[in-house]
Amino acid sequence: MRDAGPDIADEVPAVAFNGVSKTYPNGTVALSDVSFAIRKGSIHAVCGENGAGKSTLMKILFGLLEPTAGAVLLDGRPVATGAADFAGQHGMGMVHQHFSLIPTLTVTENIILGHEPRKGLVIDRAKAKQLVRTLSQQYDLSVDPDAVTGRLSVAAQQKVEILKALSRDTRILILDEPTAVLSPPEIEELFHRLRDLRDRGMTIIFISHKLNEVRALAESVTVLRGGQLAGTSKLADVPDDAIMQMVMGRAVEVARRVPAQAAGPAVLVVENVSTDARNAADRIKEISLTLRAGEIVGVAGVEGSGQRGLVSVLSGLMKPVSGRIIFNGHDMTVADRLTWRRAGLANLPADRFGQGGAPALSLVENGIAGTDGDEELQRGPFLRRNAIAARVRGMIADYSVRNPGIHERLDSLSGGNAQKLIAARELATRPKFLIADEPTRGIDVAAAAFLHRRLDEVARSGSAILLVTADLDELLRLSDRVIVLFAGRIAAEFRNGAELTPDRLGPFMLGLKAAS
Amino acid sequence: MNRSILAGLIQLVVTAVVAAAVVLIVLIPFALLQPAPLAVLTSFLIGPLDSVRHIGNIAEVATPIALTGLAATVIFRSGLFNLGTEGGFFLGGLAATAAVLLLPLPGFAAPLLAVAIGAAVGSLACIVPGYLRIRHDASEMVTSLVLNYAILFAGIFVLNYVLRDPAAGAMMSYRIPAEARLERLLPGTRLNSGAIIAVVACLAAGVWLFMTRPGLNLRIIGASPGFATHLGLPAGRIVMAAQVAGGLIAGMAGAIEVLGLYPRFSWTQLPGLGWTGIVVAILARENPFLVLPAALFLGYLQVGGNILSQEVGIPTEVVGLITAAIMLTVTASAIFQNPKLLRLIRRFRRAEVQPS
Repeated sequence: MRDAGPDIADEVPAVAFNGVSKTYPNGTVALSDVSFAIRKGSIHAVCGENGAGKSTLMKILFGLLEPTAGAVLLDGRPVATGAADFAGQHGMGMVHQHFSLIPTLTVTENIILGHEPRKGLVIDRAKAKQLVRTLSQQYDLSVDPDAVTGRLSVAAQQKVEILKALSRDTRILILDEPTAVLSPPEIEELFHRLRDLRDRGMTIIFISHKLNEVRALAESVTVLRGGQLAGTSKLADVPDDAIMQMVMGRAVEVARRVPAQAAGPAVLVVENVSTDARNAADRIKEISLTLRAGEIVGVAGVEGSGQRGLVSVLSGLMKPVSGRIIFNGHDMTVADRLTWRRAGLANLPADRFGQGGAPALSLVENGIAGTDGDEELQRGPFLRRNAIAARVRGMIADYSVRNPGIHERLDSLSGGNAQKLIAARELATRPKFLIADEPTRGIDVAAAAFLHRRLDEVARSGSAILLVTADLDELLRLSDRVIVLFAGRIAAEFRNGAELTPDRLGPFMLGLKAAS
Repeated sequence: MNRSILAGLIQLVVTAVVAAAVVLIVLIPFALLQPAPLAVLTSFLIGPLDSVRHIGNIAEVATPIALTGLAATVIFRSGLFNLGTEGGFFLGGLAATAAVLLLPLPGFAAPLLAVAIGAAVGSLACIVPGYLRIRHDASEMVTSLVLNYAILFAGIFVLNYVLRDPAAGAMMSYRIPAEARLERLLPGTRLNSGAIIAVVACLAAGVWLFMTRPGLNLRIIGASPGFATHLGLPAGRIVMAAQVAGGLIAGMAGAIEVLGLYPRFSWTQLPGLGWTGIVVAILARENPFLVLPAALFLGYLQVGGNILSQEVGIPTEVVGLITAAIMLTVTASAIFQNPKLLRLIRRFRRAEVQPS
């Protein structure tokens, strides 16, 4: 049996999580009782939606966070977390999704940063360069040690990031969504390198959204959902749809919105719109779409599939490189944000405190921002204090915003109440077109239900709504139609109904199926 | 709004108390060397308030720094760290002097016109860095800092070759005609009608910033650029307007300083009152209403220091040391109370505890 090859049961795993739980001081349960093991010298994939707990788990592994309960075993031994340079001491390196490189430094400088070879008081540059050369030969990752990092292509920068992660006797390499920034041939190249590293005995943890990539690369997979272990298994033992089931959760029967009897006239017509952006989240390709008055169109897709680009192009924040956008009969292809808003756009941004409002300004100020020229609220340039207070009190009452006082700062509100106030402001304009981008992410159930009812009412009153959400329950509850984005394209379009379930959307979201 | 002003005032008082403590710590060792240590402390702390003349001196010192403090406040509210107020102050003084010496201004309106010209020319020191930032994304901090020195040397050139009075012993301009000087308000002090302008300007700016739509839009841009983008506010135009307004106020401050205090223009170095204005702005938490008390507080310290050096015989270097220590404390404690900085710290903390 020994001669036949390593036996999983006998071997001490490189990494083992033993009942790891993490509760944040604010009460958020990020992980509860997660246990799984990773075999030495294997590629292990970790999957899960946003907020499933992947990042928290990796931070715990890396010693950046202390688990509330449970332990992490490295090579079978429990380790004390919290030490400075914990990861370095235990031979762990991480390739971040957003590179941790300093663009103005050279490749060599970036790689040695934090553990520079010294000659007396100064950095031994000759030795440093030699180190980089040795590394890049050893792992067959060729880079120019003297190149300025920021001038390299994204794929080359990633190589630098990998070399940096490998530069300290690394035994465990963690890659956080490494393919998000790469083109298909570059992905192929990366996978080739990773398999090569594995064959040299490196243990690799590969975090990804994309099932096809997981299958192409990994030996085993762990799925997290809502902070819990949804499953851990050898990939050979599980079919795709089983993994998908684990990622998405069981299909919950949702109460769907009753769509308007007949959709109205077309409000927004998008024809073959593409953007040219570096970041995958901003990149869309040949999107065509029509939104009718009274209709809610849901946009599904794993994060970074082009949702942000679509929203930006349809709200005057980004200009498409080709295609045409007609809003309300006017060509708005290159219109700016103010033109869009004046034409009847309202927007609930995903970044509530960064874009939806000014956290340091008061509820009153946030409530009336953007109402320039409203005669009721100002006389000449002067704001009418009482009228404004009355207006904001009305908004707060209508949307039952729990608040400590209307002159307090916006960030004194909870996320749900802040979002209600933002919604009150945006919907007060009676928009012809509303973009609701993750309208209920991170907010409590009651506030979410309230906002859902409001969105339904707004649609009934004749607005066209584009609902971008990662929450499939929300998507299916509200949408009349659903489009699925994958890699910037519309991978599928469905009319919502009882037969539309997460299972049907899943393969398109994960890129396993494409529009025929 | 009233509550936020009250909260600001309370923090101002806290800062003042901390500053007073620092003064004592620095001053006590020197005071102990004097024959009457207690007299030193009372001269410093009580002296500035013991006569109408001294109180007038406080107002006199507070006038220019209230205006430069206001200029910095308007500029900082736009979210830019444009340091051109120092150069604007210098340029405003020079341009006002040049106007009264070279232009045929009608007598009765001469001071007003000269101040207006000083403001207009001085504003360039803030406009240029602002423009470079908005159009070309050049760091306004660097360009304004460098431009201040370019303005200084260009100004010295103009002073030396155009305005210089060869009969005067040192490098200084011809005498500023009496009818062009600002009216003195209090005998025995140099307190002048510029003080009234400073008070009116601070109150008007406070009203504009907190009670008008353009003021609200400026605060939105400064406090949350992402939100401004979301609303579709014309950020470039509004930020530029704030640089122009700040520059005008700084230039006006320089013109008032020269026409109000000096018989001749003789600055051959940056006068430093623009920098002090930045301390005032930070101390006032970028609130125009609080600029006045903040400027008066710094004026009080300055007058106390002057009394020490003139009457008690504590060397001026010690007074300089005390002023520096106060500036340091005041700035540090104001920065710690600064909402922008606190927000930054909170963001780091949030990033630490938030699951993603």
